[in-house]
Amino acid sequence: MKRSWFRHLLSLHGILFLIFVYAPITVVVVYSFNSHPVNMMIWKEFTFDWYWSIFGFPTELNEQTLYVESTDQLLASVKNSFIVAFSTTTFATVVGTSTALALYRYQFRMQSFYRGLLYMPMVMPDIVLGIALLVFFVTFGIKLGLMSIIVGHCTFLVSYVFIVVTARLAGMDQSLEQASADLGATPWTTFRRITLPQIMPGVIGGALLAFIISMDDLVITYFIAGVDSTTLPVFIYGMLRRGVKPEINAIATLMLVFSFVIASLGLYLRSRK
Amino acid sequence: MALNSRTRSLLLLLSPASIFLGIFFLGPLIIMVIFSFLEPGLYGGVEWNFYHWNYGRILGWADGEWEEFDPVYAAIFLRSVRIAFINVIVTLLICYPTALWVNGLPSRWRTLVVFIITLPFFVSLVVRLFCWVLILRPSGFMNSILLGLGIISEPIDIIFTETAVLIGMAYVLLPFMFLPIYASVEKLDHSLVEASSDLGGGPIQTFFRITLPLTLPGVAAGAILVFIPSLGNFIVPDLLGGAKVLMIGNLVEQQFLSARNWPFGSALSVTIMLVMLTLIILYLRRLKRMEINQ
Repeated sequence: MKRSWFRHLLSLHGILFLIFVYAPITVVVVYSFNSHPVNMMIWKEFTFDWYWSIFGFPTELNEQTLYVESTDQLLASVKNSFIVAFSTTTFATVVGTSTALALYRYQFRMQSFYRGLLYMPMVMPDIVLGIALLVFFVTFGIKLGLMSIIVGHCTFLVSYVFIVVTARLAGMDQSLEQASADLGATPWTTFRRITLPQIMPGVIGGALLAFIISMDDLVITYFIAGVDSTTLPVFIYGMLRRGVKPEINAIATLMLVFSFVIASLGLYLRSRK
Repeated sequence: MALNSRTRSLLLLLSPASIFLGIFFLGPLIIMVIFSFLEPGLYGGVEWNFYHWNYGRILGWADGEWEEFDPVYAAIFLRSVRIAFINVIVTLLICYPTALWVNGLPSRWRTLVVFIITLPFFVSLVVRLFCWVLILRPSGFMNSILLGLGIISEPIDIIFTETAVLIGMAYVLLPFMFLPIYASVEKLDHSLVEASSDLGGGPIQTFFRITLPLTLPGVAAGAILVFIPSLGNFIVPDLLGGAKVLMIGNLVEQQFLSARNWPFGSALSVTIMLVMLTLIILYLRRLKRMEINQ
């Protein structure tokens, strides 16, 4: 009897929690379809015009109120984000996976040092890593641009891939590798035919995580992006600092949908094993 | 020969990470520490002289020539620590009951609910904070609703207060508290909880005597994972706190992007890093001791 009121209270709390998490997002999505050009909190009528206007198409709304400074800049930042995310994901996935394999397969003296080195970037506050990289690049005369962003992202994304792949390796059936070696397969064949297929879900999961974190990163990119190489989050942050404009609703909604799709894809791949 | 090929493949697997992290992770941290001991130049550059007053300035002292004692930076530092600490408490109070709730759900629901809870946190930080800017600003969603319902007669200022910063900070960092707590609640031996209630323990007694002590490692991990990013945060105070709620992160940003005093900014940043390292070391020691005891 006593347990039941306790559970009811917990359920109520859980539902309030979900409301707290989802309500703010819902507000933005709903108002991205509101055609009121001045006060976006007053509902006028349903419109897709903000979505058209962020891509630079002429609409009834932006005849009166032209908000997005430059569609070209926005699209350039989206392109930069994708270039950075694809490059960092590729690099971080290869390096993170190979490090995870090294630490899993071999016993050596420096092992705990390496484990520490790989956990460190994950717990390092963004701002510390961001300014350390800025000072480093400037001191050594490395030009700030897409390349510096890619290098900066890789310093912490390698760790994320490493952690995900290590978790996968820990749950792997080692007897298959031994059987393969016993049957005369070379280490390379064993790796390609036995190990790699088994850890593949971990590798893909790590890659997706790296991709999404790279696409979203704001703080580190903010410090090490050059003048002409902003990414999408940095661009929106800049817009927000200058004031709230209705177009940001539409951009935010598109980013929301994109992140949800990638995250769901990750979950789907993981559940398939 | 066998050893040789083993060493060779180990080196091959390990060298990319060693070289890359050695140069681009440890390298920058070392340079930053060096910078924090250099003298700031008059026009934004640095003089390559040893100079420890950057750290003195954080505590309020300056070199005596340029500035007088003024603990303005120490005050900002203390405020940051306070906000980060309150944020740990707030997220803990929000996430702990939620973790218990999820754990009590039928097993086929659990994975789905955890996914639903964590999904929004894959969305860009700047988008999530934008949601709160829309809600909290004077002509925003919250004031519209409160005015519409007649609860208030004129818009209240929530944005650009410490409350707004705390709301935004808690919202952004919830999963870092939820996931470790949930992991430890899930691992909890349920027979102990049942034994307690069979022996006549009420839910509150069972919670404080059994559930809470056994899930403390998760709480500790969550507390660290929330405290560290809260302390150095500058995006949340910038968007929701404005100029009124300066935190140490904003101070660092200013030193680099507007004040152009890089050595002082580096010293502030090194301080944040030292706080983080201290917490991590304390946590790991504690964890080791608990493992030995068990």
